[in-house]
Amino acid sequence: MFVLKPQSGIPIYRQLLDQVRRMVASGQLAPGAELPSVRELAIQHAVNPMTVSKAYSLLEAEGLLERNRGRPMTVANRPKNATQLSRRLQQIQPLVEQTVLAAKQLELSEADLLKAIRENWEE
Amino acid sequence: MADATVQGSHLSKSFGERRVIDDLSFEVAPGEVIGLLGKNGAGKTTLLELMLGFTPPTSGTVSVFGHPSQRLPGPVKSRVGFVPQQDELLDQLTVADQLRVIESFYAHWDAELIERLCREWNVNTAARIKNLSVGERQKLSILLAFGQRPHLLVLDEPVASLDPLARRQFLEQLVEISADGERAVIFSSHIVSDIERLANRIWILKNGRLDWQGDLDSLKDSIVRLHIRGAAEAVAGVEVPGAISLRREAGFATAVVRGWKPELQHSLRAVHAVTVEVESLGLEEIFLELHR
Amino acid sequence: MSAVARLVYTYFTSTRLACVLSGGGILLFAVSLIVVFGMPQPEDMVLFASAGQLAFFLGSSNMPLLAGRLSQGHAARLLPQGRLKLFLSMMVTVALVALPTLLLMPFAVIAGTIKVGVAVDIARLATDPKLRSFVIDMALMIYASLCILAGWLYLAMWFVTSQRNSAGFSKALVIIVILMLAPTQEVNDPSSDAWTSLLQLAIAWIVFGAIFLAWPRLKNWRTRSWIPGLFPRARAVRSAGREIDLMLGTHNPWMYIGALLVPVFLATRIGQFSPAVWLYMLTIFSAVNGAISGQAAERSRALWLRAGWSRSELFARVEASFARHNSFVLGVLLVLMVGIGSYEGHPVGMLAAGLPLLILGTATSTYLGLMLTRGVRWSEALLAIVLMLTLMALPLMLDTRVPNMAAVVALEVILAIVAIVLRFVARSRWAAIDWTECRRPRDARLAPG
Repeated sequence: MFVLKPQSGIPIYRQLLDQVRRMVASGQLAPGAELPSVRELAIQHAVNPMTVSKAYSLLEAEGLLERNRGRPMTVANRPKNATQLSRRLQQIQPLVEQTVLAAKQLELSEADLLKAIRENWEE
Repeated sequence: MADATVQGSHLSKSFGERRVIDDLSFEVAPGEVIGLLGKNGAGKTTLLELMLGFTPPTSGTVSVFGHPSQRLPGPVKSRVGFVPQQDELLDQLTVADQLRVIESFYAHWDAELIERLCREWNVNTAARIKNLSVGERQKLSILLAFGQRPHLLVLDEPVASLDPLARRQFLEQLVEISADGERAVIFSSHIVSDIERLANRIWILKNGRLDWQGDLDSLKDSIVRLHIRGAAEAVAGVEVPGAISLRREAGFATAVVRGWKPELQHSLRAVHAVTVEVESLGLEEIFLELHR
Repeated sequence: MSAVARLVYTYFTSTRLACVLSGGGILLFAVSLIVVFGMPQPEDMVLFASAGQLAFFLGSSNMPLLAGRLSQGHAARLLPQGRLKLFLSMMVTVALVALPTLLLMPFAVIAGTIKVGVAVDIARLATDPKLRSFVIDMALMIYASLCILAGWLYLAMWFVTSQRNSAGFSKALVIIVILMLAPTQEVNDPSSDAWTSLLQLAIAWIVFGAIFLAWPRLKNWRTRSWIPGLFPRARAVRSAGREIDLMLGTHNPWMYIGALLVPVFLATRIGQFSPAVWLYMLTIFSAVNGAISGQAAERSRALWLRAGWSRSELFARVEASFARHNSFVLGVLLVLMVGIGSYEGHPVGMLAAGLPLLILGTATSTYLGLMLTRGVRWSEALLAIVLMLTLMALPLMLDTRVPNMAAVVALEVILAIVAIVLRFVARSRWAAIDWTECRRPRDARLAPG
């Protein structure tokens, strides 16, 4: 379900966080869907279980996941637009930065970039 | 404090004139997996030996489960497992005999676990130890430490001679062991990728001191590489706080920073009018940068 | 205490050979005891029983190595009560190994092998308290002495197996010769009784135990000694500058010479020995002198890899290195032989036969050792035993009033021929040596990182 790269500069728990958030936002993980248990995920990817449980706890604090006694964590039942706008913007921020940087390197103007985005949006 | 699995306070060890361990203080809590990194000769083995009382410190104290390491009582010893760098197997015996000898010292020995692991790891219990390959010897050394289900597991370069498959099996078993969150694992290794998977805390031993003693995640957030671009004069005048290395060319600079905070990116951009791209580093890169 | 039981069991069953020796020894011993009453010649029973006892002892000969390895490594410190249980296992092994002889005593008395002045049978033994206590006393005395003897032999075996070089051999040699000399002292002191012997045994164990259990603390005290220079670290071995000698262990013949001078000196102090006993002792020294060549094959691998020699060249140089080492020792032995011989007035014939014997002792054992390029197999072990027996038989042959010089000379000529043949075999084996067949030397220990 997840792709974890321990050798990346991005800490494993954050990779997991990002991936769960994206999957929930895109609908790949529907509300009520079960996630693998901490132990299962840790053994499958050969990573420290505490890393997995750290990510799960943070997601639970965010309201994205729900803890159930005796059963694995599930995706919380929340309407999508309840997620704060600022949070969602924060998710996309790194990509925005990268795009702006690349545009500047290629000596494109702000107008050029916005035009490209609009074209992409309308497809 | 009483819950600490291992605790060291101002620990030092000298061999003659040479100070190998210099004023170290640390604490290991249950559930932690600590990866100990350092160059060859940095003192990793010495530190592990000090922790378990194999050698006395020149000054300072170290204790395990609240007892001074030099005088561990029997019940505490039965909760500790150790895999030394050089195996200490009895060549004349068969694998089964060696296992039985060690088993006889412990009241709680998980024979089923050992049996299962011998099968999964392809260790032939009927073979004579002197006929085993180096990898098989190392696997046996590891098994001998697992059998009593220790609450503190200390491993000194346990996988140096194992092939990738055997290493992965060992890692999976360590994950199982640490899954209940009650046991502490300390292991030193050159194979950084293994530590990166398994450890949640990193100790980097450099010149006898712990250059880093904290979470792996924090370490990756703290040490980053910056790629700075801009006009030649702007780049030439850039000062990067906390830089441990800095390389400048015309209009382009690369710096490795320690103690990085995301706000610094904005301040650098604002102050020096340069673009700053932040690259996160893997553990091996971090280790190399710290030792340049 | 199951650890102690498991350890002791492991000592006796460590290898297949050990199992055979221990099991076979016990079986042989038990059978001969049971059969004693049906045997026509009861003395034979004692012979078989003794063979069984010896086999049983040899079955446990790995004990020093196993216990030593466990106590030197991290195991002794980390296993719960590790050192204590190791010590107890060693004590139990010694007590166990000497037990057959303890059981043998009453039977030997009944069988008449041990004469007590009156005919003895079981009934008599059961009813006569004085006789019973006498037999028990004697048995305990012999048991205690045997325990002490076994302990020393294990120590000698420890030196040989753990340090497989001339230092180890020298130390073992010192012990064995002291053991040979010590009984002569006891014979001169008839007032000892069972309690004294048992007390000696107890003291020996207490001293050994105290040192063994406190060893880690003693080691720390030594390194922490506040008087600098009180226990200086061993000075680097002064090498003669030749790498080949260092690798083969032949760089310091003086260490070995020193080791053999000690018992020789003790022997001169203690008393009169017959010329044959002197010759016997010096022959053993000369034979053991050549024994370090047994590891030459496995140790020469590194030499061959580093230098550009062919295998034949390598053999020539190795042979030269041993020749240099042996000539020093032989020189000293020959001087001793002549010196002591003329001082004590030994017969000239014995000296004349003795000098070549010493040379042959070294030559045959050196070449036998060099022949071991494929580990020690049964044939080579057998050959070694035969050679040893022959070398020991010659002084005995010379011990009579009018020795059979023709036979002695003939035997020495045969030994010379054997030495030449062994050299030929060794040389041809070395020309085709395959180092993967030699045993791996496990001396190297990496420095702590």
